Amino acid sequence: MEAAALAYLAAGIGAGLASIGAGVGIGLLASSSMDGAARQPEATDDIRGLMIISAALVEGVALFALIICLLLAITIFI
Amino acid sequence: MIARIRSAGLVVLILLGMSPALTATPATAAEGGEVTLEGIVNNSILGHATDGYYLDFKPFAEVELPRIMLSRTAGGALTLETYGSTMSMLKNGPYGLAPHGGEEGEGHGPLVTQGADLEEAIAAKEHLHSTVKRAEGHVVADLSISRHFVFGLLSMVIVFGVFITLAQRYYKKGIGRTEAPKGAFQNMMEVMVVFVRDEIAKPNIQGEKWKTFLPYLLTAFFFILVANILGLVPFAGAATSNIAVTGVMAIMTFVIVLLYSSKDHYRELLTGPPDAPVLVRIIFVPIEIIGLVMRHLALAVRLFANMVGGALIIFSLIGLIFIINILFGEGAAVGTVIISIAFTVFILLLKLLVAFIQAYVFTILSALFIGMAVEEHHHEEPEADTGPDMSRLDERLDAVEEAVEPTSA
Repeated sequence: MEAAALAYLAAGIGAGLASIGAGVGIGLLASSSMDGAARQPEATDDIRGLMIISAALVEGVALFALIICLLLAITIFI
Repeated sequence: MIARIRSAGLVVLILLGMSPALTATPATAAEGGEVTLEGIVNNSILGHATDGYYLDFKPFAEVELPRIMLSRTAGGALTLETYGSTMSMLKNGPYGLAPHGGEEGEGHGPLVTQGADLEEAIAAKEHLHSTVKRAEGHVVADLSISRHFVFGLLSMVIVFGVFITLAQRYYKKGIGRTEAPKGAFQNMMEVMVVFVRDEIAKPNIQGEKWKTFLPYLLTAFFFILVANILGLVPFAGAATSNIAVTGVMAIMTFVIVLLYSSKDHYRELLTGPPDAPVLVRIIFVPIEIIGLVMRHLALAVRLFANMVGGALIIFSLIGLIFIINILFGEGAAVGTVIISIAFTVFILLLKLLVAFIQAYVFTILSALFIGMAVEEHHHEEPEADTGPDMSRLDERLDAVEEAVEPTSA
């Protein structure tokens, strides 16, 4: 295969893997925070704040991967 | 009344969805007026999502921004050259267009400096999308005013305007100090300021120290919020979708963390956790230092990637229309328009949510990092201080006994 084709393939597979990881992570986070909110409705506000912070942390890692994929896909043109 | 507001809101939303489509229409005159796949991806999608040296009011006008170049001439002297636009720089200055695909290393290909080739490139707007190089000597620093700089400055002006007006109301007129704030504007802003104070600064920063950092947190929050929302305005762009802007904001948090760190934080950072064996400390100290830097790096990349990701999704969805037009013909493209616009409106609504969430996340993580740094261990400190002292006292007593015993014996 050509180098450009391999780079596109790598970018696509990488983006997919990054979204799987972030999806699993945020899914686990959402499920357990909903559990927590259902058991203790009075703590919902605290749980929501913590959930957004941890979701941002999980998402940050996925976005690192996304940027690398973007660089792989874009540098071919430039 | 409510129904009218609702329908007006719907119209605005549809217009918002349409506007990227409108601005993307005269997409690519890159290859002499011919629309190509590469042109769409390169010039339209990436050109809109990334920085550039022009303001894009596409159906109406395109305003080129001033270029300021700090460069070294062939003789070796530093010069600062200012031009009104990229076009005038290419026409009047010792600069030329590097052809597409010219890498930095191999960059001695034929520069387009003047003549008919340059006129043609300018007519095709190619000079806005390709690299500019100096004919002799080289560019030391490109200090040009870029689009993101303009919108960053604009959001700064908006934040200044809003909050100086508000402060005037509180301090000069006294509205809101002793009685309730008046008017929708003041109420709305007070809700957000109180939110930052009570939900972000106070819970994360120990004791009374939040008062020191509240001004920075408020400034960061409102600057990011305004810059993010400017990214949703047609013809404008988000300054936060530039890694330089978010990087500088993260560096500000980093500098605050370094300047205001407590002794405990520095001690734990440089000597490892207390009561840990030496081997563990040797492993821990580099990890702690790398972690400290990476935390702030991630702060910059998170905001940047979120904003640039949203912009790329919108322009990709709109670009899909043109890509399908090339691949499958007009009929399929007309069908795609409906889907694309619907998705674009959805993504725009999501971006509005993300604009608030990212401002919140950046501010709360900054508060968290600052809070971790300025924290003083009041409970552990007396124990940790008396602990070694007591043991040293015992050792000293033992030594004294050993020293005393021979003489007594």
